[in-house]
Amino acid sequence: MNIRNFCIIAHIDHGKSTLADRMLQATGAIQDREMREQILDGMELERERGITIKASAVTVTHEHKGTPYMLNFIDTPGHVDFHYEVSRALTACEGAILVVDATQGVEAQTVANAYMAVEAGLDLIPVVNKIDLPSARPDEIAMEIEQVLGLSAEECIYCSAKTGEGIQELLDAICDRLPAPKEAAKEKTQALIFDSVYDDYRGVVLYFRMMSGKLKANDRIYMMGTGRTYSITEMGKFTPKMVPLKHEFQAGEVGYAVAAIKTLGDVNIGDTITLDAHRAAEPLPGYQEPQRMVFCDFYPSGETQFEMLRDAVERLHINDASFTYAAHHSEALGFGFRCGFLGMLHMEIIQERLEREGNVNIVQTAPTVTYEIKLTGGKIIQITNPADLPDMSTVVEIREPLVTCEFIMPNENIGDLMHLCEQRRGVYKSQQYLSETRQILNYELPLAEIIYDFYDKLKSLSRGYATMDYTLTGFRKDNLVKMDILVNAMRVDALSVIVHREKAETRGRALLKRLKKEIDRHMFEIPLQAALGGKIIARESIQAMRKNVTAKCYGGDVSRKRKLLEKQKAGKKRMKRIGSVDISQDAFMAVLETDE
Amino acid sequence: MKLTVLSYQKCTGDSSLLQPFEGLSPSDVHSLYLHIPFCFHKCHYCDFYSLVAPSEKKQDLYRQFTDRMIEELTLRATEVIAKPRTLFVGGGTPTLLPASQWERLLEALKTGGWLDAVTEFTVEANPETVDQELLAILVAGGVNRLSIGAQSFNEKHLKTLERWHDPARVAEAVGLARGVGIDNLNLDLIFAIPGQTLDEFDADLEVVLALEPTHLSCYNLTFEPQTALMQRMEMGQIEPLDESEQREMYEHVIAKLALAGYEHYEISNWSKSGQRCQHNLAYWEGDNWLGVGPAAASHVNGRRWKNEPHLGRYLSHRPGPPVVDVEELPLNEQAGEKLMMGLRLFEGIPMAKLTAMLEPQDPRWQMIAQLTQMKMLEQTATHLRLTRQGLFVADTVLSELL
Ligand SMILES: Nc1nc2c(ncn2[C@@H]2O[C@H](COP(=O)(O)OP(=O)(O)OP(=O)(O)O)[C@@H](O)[C@H]2O)c(=O)[nH]1
Ligand code: SF4
Ligand SMILES: [Mg+2]
Repeated sequence: MNIRNFCIIAHIDHGKSTLADRMLQATGAIQDREMREQILDGMELERERGITIKASAVTVTHEHKGTPYMLNFIDTPGHVDFHYEVSRALTACEGAILVVDATQGVEAQTVANAYMAVEAGLDLIPVVNKIDLPSARPDEIAMEIEQVLGLSAEECIYCSAKTGEGIQELLDAICDRLPAPKEAAKEKTQALIFDSVYDDYRGVVLYFRMMSGKLKANDRIYMMGTGRTYSITEMGKFTPKMVPLKHEFQAGEVGYAVAAIKTLGDVNIGDTITLDAHRAAEPLPGYQEPQRMVFCDFYPSGETQFEMLRDAVERLHINDASFTYAAHHSEALGFGFRCGFLGMLHMEIIQERLEREGNVNIVQTAPTVTYEIKLTGGKIIQITNPADLPDMSTVVEIREPLVTCEFIMPNENIGDLMHLCEQRRGVYKSQQYLSETRQILNYELPLAEIIYDFYDKLKSLSRGYATMDYTLTGFRKDNLVKMDILVNAMRVDALSVIVHREKAETRGRALLKRLKKEIDRHMFEIPLQAALGGKIIARESIQAMRKNVTAKCYGGDVSRKRKLLEKQKAGKKRMKRIGSVDISQDAFMAVLETDE
Repeated sequence: MKLTVLSYQKCTGDSSLLQPFEGLSPSDVHSLYLHIPFCFHKCHYCDFYSLVAPSEKKQDLYRQFTDRMIEELTLRATEVIAKPRTLFVGGGTPTLLPASQWERLLEALKTGGWLDAVTEFTVEANPETVDQELLAILVAGGVNRLSIGAQSFNEKHLKTLERWHDPARVAEAVGLARGVGIDNLNLDLIFAIPGQTLDEFDADLEVVLALEPTHLSCYNLTFEPQTALMQRMEMGQIEPLDESEQREMYEHVIAKLALAGYEHYEISNWSKSGQRCQHNLAYWEGDNWLGVGPAAASHVNGRRWKNEPHLGRYLSHRPGPPVVDVEELPLNEQAGEKLMMGLRLFEGIPMAKLTAMLEPQDPRWQMIAQLTQMKMLEQTATHLRLTRQGLFVADTVLSELL
């Protein structure tokens, strides 16, 4: 049969998942009555937030010019945190549909994803979506696509994933214009594991793309990376339901396999499956482990015990290996976990899933980046927690991660952006016109400066119009120091931050001001101090509570009064008590305060 | 929080007969509270169960109510061993009940044997509704203590509270009470009323002291949920005094009343030597008491319940009034409650009582030590009590010990 493997890529919210809905409907994979919006976004959080977090692969059949085509496609997430999902999906495909919103035009992730696809050797079909909207400017946007990405405006397909207009044309173009899988050069079986999910009944479900050879249920397989062998117990396709199939999978096909694998930790995404009895000579090029950009600690709070948190973390990790974790002990906060994430959204999602699915209360410390520390002996270590910084007498230099940022934005906001980037120690790289009204700007920035409120600031300075994309480029040394925070004369390691020396005083003052707002008044006065080494560089104080006493309490009020006090106490759930001071979740985030 | 709610359910309609005494060993009840839920107007800060009776049906309603209250007393007499030492009639405005009904009620209390052991018998009085005739009836029925709601002597602040009485009537009521031989008098005062200054509050205290009551309750105004006052605050019409001003007034009343020879024996209560309110002490000390009348709460051996706050159902429900909010806390939480109440007393909780109610490994011992170190609690020769510092932030201290 004719096969076409492709993925749908775009900037966030440009309509990938909705377009996938229409393709499922147009090909009869889903009946109208079964249809719901963004059907591939199955996770509760995806539906609530209206975004795709995890890529999904589906197989449908489309009849074109009298012959059936098997279309295997992958809906990918648009958010920058989930870039790696896109990059993996690309390796399983020969083509990609690049969706661009007809009212927004080319945005930062449009460019980033398009380049990634071209680099991976894929053919692209540009699609201008949402043409049903009154403010759609399809011709203009097609020109933008031509100018910025070099894809001819003529080749753009105009469609509406809402009304279905242009979908047939798109399906035909997929069959006509995208290449069939290349003929396998080798005989021996090679299948790429491009994703995996955990299923309560089946255990690990592998998503694979056949590159050469054949594979069927009951085959004994060998994983070339991990060196483990398994027997395939079930194979099949997502249509989008999981449908087991008996047939032999041929080169070019995409499907799933189950092989009694217990945890996601037992498989490497990017690994090559081959037949145990007829092993391929070498594995396919695999994937790089995705870079964790930000790190933070999770500590149990309220009624939650460390053991409960550990169970929750381990259980979630079985389902979702996208974050890293390691047990961690803080002087101030006790036992918890240091976790690594792909970005801030990812961190938020994992925290929410832990609390929801694991039924635990968490206090989270402020996210930080990885630092490279060069020690006196020449040794270089990495730390993901400012509290882990070794004694400064042994430290030669502190290096921080750098990113190159690409901004796409209206001309009139360029000045404001440049100002913002300067404040954040950015270095200007280049500037390029995208259209008469918009430009692409390139900056090099320390990652630490953009992880928290940078994006919000960017959105507000451009009234929502600017978009950004970033990639890690390396580490650079700078005049960095660790600032400690003392609450009630006690150093709280979880509040330590690494800052630029020249900004330390202002950061310290701003931080203490914010802490003062976030820590409730207590029965006693609480001094707050910021210190570099032993030297106090800023101080504040939280006045003692003046009066908190219920005037009246007689016979009928006892239960009510008790419940009121209990509520006061329960309000402290998302808090950690350090010494005798209750520090709230928001206070831990205060170290991110950058407003000077 | 684990609440052992017994087999009781919140009563709806008249299907279930609730017997709050079920399963309780017969126990002594040392205090009796009667709730008279009528007022002639609703004050804006009020969150007591009280209602304004429609004038055309008033007399009928008062009679029906008195009937029911007598019936409830009769019923309860079969359920408890009740020889109360203190009796308190509160409201509402008990003095709104007509003299004729008072006579019936007092007679029933007497014949029911409820008064046999009573040494302190208090009635709450509104300065507008006491007269010679009623007072004479009360005294004849055994009442020996009157609690008069003065609240403030400043017309402007009475207006803020929507408390309707002529401040001059307070002195008159005091005179009338003394005239019939009631010398044990309490006056209620409220401070930290929006707009009130320290001087104005001081003026109120001067007036009160000139009346030489044996007992004084001075409350910091509380914005209770679901009161008109709270609504006005939420709509921005009035603004509470800030914490420092409130504290200043509280410090002032403490100092001034000490000078005037009053003992500060509970967060909001002062008395001349030997004149503490024995009835309220029963609440703070966690003793057993029985509440009669709609919305009245009871506590017997760790079990609490409340008559449903609903006059209509109080009148119609048979045999007893519908009971709600029955709870029997685990011992551990009862201890928390005892701490919460007991530490309101200036003397605190006797150490002997404390060691009896907290297991040696109870984490609260550690908390007590910590709070002592922070100078919020202190130990006297016999008691654990709040320090002066602790007094001002008592809620925070107590919430640690629940
Ligand atoms: N009017 C109109 N709205 C559309 C169209 N396509 C998508 N949308 C809407 O655009 C929003 C985003 O659509 P999605 O399909 O979730 O976008 P996405 O690209 O999958 O987003 P991510 O997966 O989060 O990157 C939704 O509210 C859709 O209903 C279209 O053709 N016309
Ligand atoms: S008189 Fe007392 S019970 Fe009646 S409304 Fe006023 S405050 Fe409430
Ligand atoms: Mg999507």
